[in-house]
Amino acid sequence: MGRYLIIRVGRWIASVAIIVFVTYAMMFYGAADPIKRMFMTRNESDKWLDQLTIDALREKYGLDKPFPEQLKNYVSRLLVGDWGNSFAESNRPVWDMVRAKLPISMQLGLAATVLITIVGIPLGVLAALCHNHWPDAAIIGTISFVNGIPQFVTAPMLMLLLVLGLHVLDVPYGWKGLFDQQVILPVVVLSLGAVQGVIRQARVGMLEVMSADYVRTARAKGLPERLVIMRHMLRVVLIPVVTSIGLTMITMVNGAIYVEKIFNIPGFGSLTLNGLNSADYPVIMASVLVGTLIILVSNLLVDLIYPLLDPRITHEGHD
Amino acid sequence: MSTAPEVSSARARAVQMAEAMAMEEHSLWHDAARQFIKNRLAVGGLIIIVVFVLAATLGPYLAPYDFLDQEIPNALQAPSREHWLGTDELGRDIFSRLLHGARTAALLGFSSTAVGLLIGVAVGTTAGFAGGRADQFLMWFSDLVQSVPGLLLAMLVNTTLRRPIGRWFDAMYEQTRNPAYLNTLWLDYVLVFGALTVIGWPGQARLIRGLVLSLRETDYALAARAVGAGRLRIMTHHIIPNALGPTVVSTSAGIGGAIVNEAGLSFLGLGVQPPNASWGSMLNRSLALWQSFPHLMIAPAVTIGIIRIAFIFCGDGLNDALNPHQRKL
Repeated sequence: MGRYLIIRVGRWIASVAIIVFVTYAMMFYGAADPIKRMFMTRNESDKWLDQLTIDALREKYGLDKPFPEQLKNYVSRLLVGDWGNSFAESNRPVWDMVRAKLPISMQLGLAATVLITIVGIPLGVLAALCHNHWPDAAIIGTISFVNGIPQFVTAPMLMLLLVLGLHVLDVPYGWKGLFDQQVILPVVVLSLGAVQGVIRQARVGMLEVMSADYVRTARAKGLPERLVIMRHMLRVVLIPVVTSIGLTMITMVNGAIYVEKIFNIPGFGSLTLNGLNSADYPVIMASVLVGTLIILVSNLLVDLIYPLLDPRITHEGHD
Repeated sequence: MSTAPEVSSARARAVQMAEAMAMEEHSLWHDAARQFIKNRLAVGGLIIIVVFVLAATLGPYLAPYDFLDQEIPNALQAPSREHWLGTDELGRDIFSRLLHGARTAALLGFSSTAVGLLIGVAVGTTAGFAGGRADQFLMWFSDLVQSVPGLLLAMLVNTTLRRPIGRWFDAMYEQTRNPAYLNTLWLDYVLVFGALTVIGWPGQARLIRGLVLSLRETDYALAARAVGAGRLRIMTHHIIPNALGPTVVSTSAGIGGAIVNEAGLSFLGLGVQPPNASWGSMLNRSLALWQSFPHLMIAPAVTIGIIRIAFIFCGDGLNDALNPHQRKL
């Protein structure tokens, strides 16, 4: 386990380092000039900023230095927890922006995770219990249908249906906290994209466990069916289901970008999109890093937690 | 001796059996086609895909209006006989724009998946056959690409390559004086194509490496090696035919996914830029007006949904038909 952990973490650090390098290089050589973006698109009258001012601004942000030096400066500050200052938002520290916006997306993601857990597991179990009957077919058919439709299509369709058609919701717009009714649609849209993994995992796990000897024994000793399911089957099934919830994170991060744009939620997704649109290097770097870290950390956690939950799995044989 | 008639009757039976077997012998593709046609959802999906491809290729000739024609007085009309799906905020015919958007979606979806598949095959077979360090390195690299959320990576590629590729286009125009290089439509296409390819290839590479590794170890490949078949023969006669099924399935899913991602990028305002038509950017523009003019939103949203589902059903049908041994529980 120790050796496995060291290799995993070592590779992990190498991956993060390479992602930092490649992203920085792509921005440095590719993205539009942040100074021009800042002062020439926002305000038309400033269009002819004189060269002296441009040079001064460039020096101020350290943009006049060659690539290796800029990268070195960036990385050395990153290592002590300084994510740099935003170009577009009047020199605001990026860390402050991330700290203000990430929790909003986290709350949305968390609410969606809770929703897919409490809806997904029962649906998967139900499908397995009705294997080869119509509820199974209906559930599996519906999720393969729903899963494919991207969030930027489900969200408009649900808005049309619930807001314009049935008048049951107000127009969802902005962020008024987790317990406002405006949260309903964004959370539902996020969940719809990710729920199928949980349902499928729960269903397949139940189907495998149904014919196990100890389940038959439990039935034979006269345990009521409800208890057989709750105590003997669900417990085993929950392990892979819990890890599959960890793997829905990638859907959540991608989905957040769409959902936050559609519903105008000032979260991590909109931070990313604005950063890209204004060539705000430090913000783009932070978005890519945070997005990737969320995925990498959840994958790592899944890998590390799995053997704790299921003693049959060890990492001794790996690598 | 009475053995002669017995032998001849045995021979006759053998011939009969062989003939019966020959009649029942079908190629993989023949069986797969029969299996596929039985699946009604899959056939429906395939029909929609065919219509989509036809619309993409013949769109400009079928469209009742030019997709750029602005009739400001007729802006924001509801669907009518003149404009089947209504008009947008600049008075452009939505049906014509959808047809042109089909062209964008098909061109980018098919081309980026094809190139992604080529890269995937190259990387996957190299990794699978070389093994060892090369394998570890290539798989680590594709893991690395996959560990950045796909949409984020596509957005990054799309935004950061715009300037260098734009400069390259300008330089090409200076050299050749070919006005095609001034067309920003092609620039958008190249950028989205690049972004979709970058996020598409790692999945294919992983799949093909897995196929190579597992098929190489099968009993029939071993038997072929035992009777002295060379690497090339094992490759062309045993590995490629058996790897085709899963690859076809994943490519079909890949095209559907690439079409959705193109729409997504354009929806975020990064992919295909207006005035060029893309379903995603049509949906994006409808966000401001959907409460008063829902038809602006319904048309592109329903189109994206239908095409995506058609690809899913078609892919499921292909999977059941081509990989009968791995049918789901």
